[in-house]
Amino acid sequence: MVQFHEHIISDLLEDPNGGLVVLSSGLSLPKLVANLLSLHSSDQGTLLILSANPCQRKSILISNPNPNFNDGPTEITSELPSHQRNALYTSGGVYFITSRILIVDLLTSRIPTSKIAGILILNAHSLSETSTEAFIVRILRSFNKNAYIRAFSDKPFAMVSGFAKAERIMKCLFVRKLHLWPRFQVYVSQELERSPSEVVDVRVPMNSAMKGIQKAIIEVMDACLKEMRRTNKVDVEDLTVENGLFKSFDEIIKRQLDPIWHTLAKKTKQLVSDLKTLRKLLDYLVRYDAVTYLKYLDSLRVSESFRSVWIFAESSYKIFEYAKKRVYLFTKTEAGKPSEQSKNVSGKKRKLKESSTEKEASSGGVFVQEILEEPPKWKVLRDILEEIEAERKKQESSSDEIVIENEDDSNGIVLVACKDEHSCMQLEDCITNGPKKVMREEWEKYLLSKVELKGYQGRHKGAKKKTKEPKGIGILDGVVPRTGKEDAEVSSTNKQENDALLAAASAVKKLSKKEATSVDTCQQNVVNEENAPGKRKGKSEKPLQEKQGIEKHNNNRRKSKSIDKSQVASPVNEDEITGDNTISEDGLLEGEQRTLLAENGVLRRHTEDISADAPTSQRTLPPVHFHALESDQPILDILKPSVIIAYHPDITFVREVEVYNAENPSKKLKVYFLFYEDSTEVQKFEASIRRENGAFESLIRQKSMMMIPVNLDDHLLGLDYPIESQSSVTQNSITRKAGGRKEAEKEMQVIVDMREFMSSLPNVLHQKGMRIIPVTLEVGDYILSPLICVERKSIQDLFGSFASGRLYHQIETMVRYYRIPVLLIEFSQDKSFSFLSASDIGDDVTPNSIISKLTLLAMHFPRLRIVWSRSLHATAEIFASLKANQDEPDEVKATRVGVPSEEGIVEDDVRAENYNTSAVEFLRRLPGVTDSNYRTIMDGCNSLADLALVPIEKLADLMGGQKAARTLREFLDAKYPTML
Amino acid sequence: GSTNFVQKTNAIIVSQRQKGNPLLKHIRNVRWNFAEVIPDYVLGQNSCALYLSLRYHLLHPDYLYFRIREMQKNFRLRVVLCHVDVEDVVKPLLEVTRTCLLHDCTLLCAWSLEECGRYLETIKVYENKPADIIQGHMDSDYLSRLNHALTAVRHVNKTDVVTLGSTFGSLSHVMDASMEDLARCPGIGERKVKRMYDTFHEPFKRVT
Repeated sequence: MVQFHEHIISDLLEDPNGGLVVLSSGLSLPKLVANLLSLHSSDQGTLLILSANPCQRKSILISNPNPNFNDGPTEITSELPSHQRNALYTSGGVYFITSRILIVDLLTSRIPTSKIAGILILNAHSLSETSTEAFIVRILRSFNKNAYIRAFSDKPFAMVSGFAKAERIMKCLFVRKLHLWPRFQVYVSQELERSPSEVVDVRVPMNSAMKGIQKAIIEVMDACLKEMRRTNKVDVEDLTVENGLFKSFDEIIKRQLDPIWHTLAKKTKQLVSDLKTLRKLLDYLVRYDAVTYLKYLDSLRVSESFRSVWIFAESSYKIFEYAKKRVYLFTKTEAGKPSEQSKNVSGKKRKLKESSTEKEASSGGVFVQEILEEPPKWKVLRDILEEIEAERKKQESSSDEIVIENEDDSNGIVLVACKDEHSCMQLEDCITNGPKKVMREEWEKYLLSKVELKGYQGRHKGAKKKTKEPKGIGILDGVVPRTGKEDAEVSSTNKQENDALLAAASAVKKLSKKEATSVDTCQQNVVNEENAPGKRKGKSEKPLQEKQGIEKHNNNRRKSKSIDKSQVASPVNEDEITGDNTISEDGLLEGEQRTLLAENGVLRRHTEDISADAPTSQRTLPPVHFHALESDQPILDILKPSVIIAYHPDITFVREVEVYNAENPSKKLKVYFLFYEDSTEVQKFEASIRRENGAFESLIRQKSMMMIPVNLDDHLLGLDYPIESQSSVTQNSITRKAGGRKEAEKEMQVIVDMREFMSSLPNVLHQKGMRIIPVTLEVGDYILSPLICVERKSIQDLFGSFASGRLYHQIETMVRYYRIPVLLIEFSQDKSFSFLSASDIGDDVTPNSIISKLTLLAMHFPRLRIVWSRSLHATAEIFASLKANQDEPDEVKATRVGVPSEEGIVEDDVRAENYNTSAVEFLRRLPGVTDSNYRTIMDGCNSLADLALVPIEKLADLMGGQKAARTLREFLDAKYPTML
Repeated sequence: GSTNFVQKTNAIIVSQRQKGNPLLKHIRNVRWNFAEVIPDYVLGQNSCALYLSLRYHLLHPDYLYFRIREMQKNFRLRVVLCHVDVEDVVKPLLEVTRTCLLHDCTLLCAWSLEECGRYLETIKVYENKPADIIQGHMDSDYLSRLNHALTAVRHVNKTDVVTLGSTFGSLSHVMDASMEDLARCPGIGERKVKRMYDTFHEPFKRVT
């Protein structure tokens, strides 16, 4: 344990009520929590951990300091029957639990609250007064004043995102102490800097195309920002390109625009989304290779071209041009002497030579010359790895003892930390198979997908015959105003270019077909095939094979075998042949290992020392493990590396390395940072430090001015909710168990669907003094009386559920079962109270307008009552008022409404926990699937992946008809549109 | 006997009471004419509307109730068109909501006279329109349906759909893809991969 963790814990334990701890990201919060848990003993009572995400849960389990004494916390899930849950609540153990289960169990008095020692809440930055966690704490505190609340956050910048956010969070958690632990805190910095690791900062220059793209993106961003300023909707101070480089940028704009979001003109919304896209493009520029980057740009162009404005800015043109130039050159030649031309440029190895001649013949002197620029960091990474290995060899030879020692405490693995899984796989490939081969494979994949994209565009244009001529706005509309001739020329060039690419693609297909069919291709090829990505799993090969099937008619163009061989041999680098046999074996091994580990959910891979047997020491590489930072695994503690290469430097990871270094003082840790010089990558890294420091400074200021009342309990019960709340806290104490001791005072009851506990309304209703009865409802969200049933929609939900048709269906069933069906349209307090901006009303009655949709709904269901609520709190008042002269709702009846009789009622059914809701939603959106058959489909196949393989006969059984089954099967198997 | 005035007509029949209401200027897509009718607006054989400004309601809190009582029940749809023209809406809107709910009226809120006008126009124009545009029948072409299905997974956007389609070739191959192959798609990060993979591979019903 690092010492500052001890400090944090002892500070926190001083106040028996608990406290809120905010620490810098990367300072090992999971370990801190694990250490705190190890101090828990069962005679204190039960300890519950709320709001931990799956990664945090796993890290906490792994960090358990004394695994012998304590198995670490387990999870209380809704799958446990209620008596088992009750036993766990009284056991004195430590459990993870979701706030939804906990609130429902508290409200139904399944928890002996006196047995609860306290609650730990993670991710405290996402709390607010109305969140379910606050609801839980309020109820728990009302029964058990001694229970402690300890809350944690390692996202300080999220703690300062609203007015006095930290203070408000503390009040709603009933805690008085705020503990701030920035990286610059003296204990922390002393400990982490005591024996610093050896750091090598490598600055890799970007090549000119990358620089060009970066510059162009920033120019377009700037243009978008200028345009944004013109809307006069945002405070421009914060809107600098520099801010645009970080995550906070979206948040800044969102926060400013959120209150008026649904009243904004389309144009403004588009600008916000464009800025986000551009930020992504900047990020991907340093993460993706040239081909993948171009592919992403192409996808963007296809999916966004009619909506986005940035694409039409002048500099955007440069982005596409540079991106293309990194991959290939498109050259037009004078018809008649194409072969000479191609010889002139044949300095580059060109595998597709033959095919390009072919294509020149067909399309009159145009061809594609491959550039396939490799990311500069690739080579640097390889150099570093070689250097590491060379150093190690030197040490080995100088002293054998050291080696033995080394073997003991480190496995010699070099950890390479990348941002994402994609980079990991690619780099691994690159180290194993060489950069050329990786680029070549990406290129071939690109060409193949180019064919698919073409098809998409074609179909798209065909479907909407007359799409409006797309254009940018204001200064973004910088594109050449195209006029007749020019236009024709441009498009004909584009066409030729596309034709050339398509021709290259078909050549690739033919080639891959031959590779697959001919057995006698040279051995290297077979070896490399096995190692090729995507071929480890048989399934992924299918689409390719299908394409090849279509290609059959091209067979007559088959080339002679000799050419074939040379083609295949060319992508394999001579100098890699030496190690080939080893590679193939390792490749297989690695594959097995990977699946094993993947099943465990721990880690994926080591590239074993790939050239251990290779005699040439010059090229040997140490064993390397590639780690995706996104995966949030506690990789350092699992792997214990002594050399770390931060391929995509990230501040959180740097902190983790520091803590790891401090914890393992005996290890001589060496860390490499790979930055692209003068790139936004560097700026981003530096700015994230500044941003975090700024957040802490602000928190320190806030802390000094905080007004936390001495007796928080009284404060929260008495002051905020003067009239109702005195009784409100005890309301749910009059439970079924307690048997209506105070029945004289009429209490209001509301039956609430389990799913609604994701929202804040149950909390606010409870604050208002209503008794909340959580059940699973098939119809409606809230039952106010035997007559009144409410379907609640936030503004976004409203728009979304109109589009999907779900709202119509929900209202239809509600109207069927209740006398007074109510649609509650709930606005959010901090957003503007209006439906749409005056400019969005338009001149005509149009079917897409929300006005039209709502009107249609009202006309088709004249009995439907619409309630418009300004805010959560207004909703609570409306509910109270509507209930005034009504009977209380009947819980048993409410749960039976609309439930198909054969299903019966499952006790404690928390639907979201029992169903893969996203899969159910997906299923219901498939053609042929209806309200009446989706349940049987779910009964008949386990998952969507299963469904993908179910034969049509079985589908017909499940779906109750041939026609529906055919519709579905055909949709699932339909070939994504292509031109060839 | 006031229903005699209500005949089949393509125009909105406006009560004389509404004379001088600036709202009338904003009814432009439908013809309208004055007549002696009890509701403020007769929008068809089965539907009518009362206009209420919240500001007016604050001054005359009983007005709405008397107007509703006056109106007979022979309209299937009785709309109270509430013009939200005050800042502090919570209390007056609560009263209006309650009155509407207890006396069988459908409350529609509008924030400008244009919007008020548009509601009246729409009710008239859509007099005989089926509900299909709100029943979720979207474009039936392959790509729209594919978009619709795949975007059911949170955070998957249209660009991702293009990428997935062109990478895997068909929806069943997407649904069946390995985590690794999903992760190879540009623009699809760890979270999206996980979300998609879970959607496809976790059972519909979790075992109890």
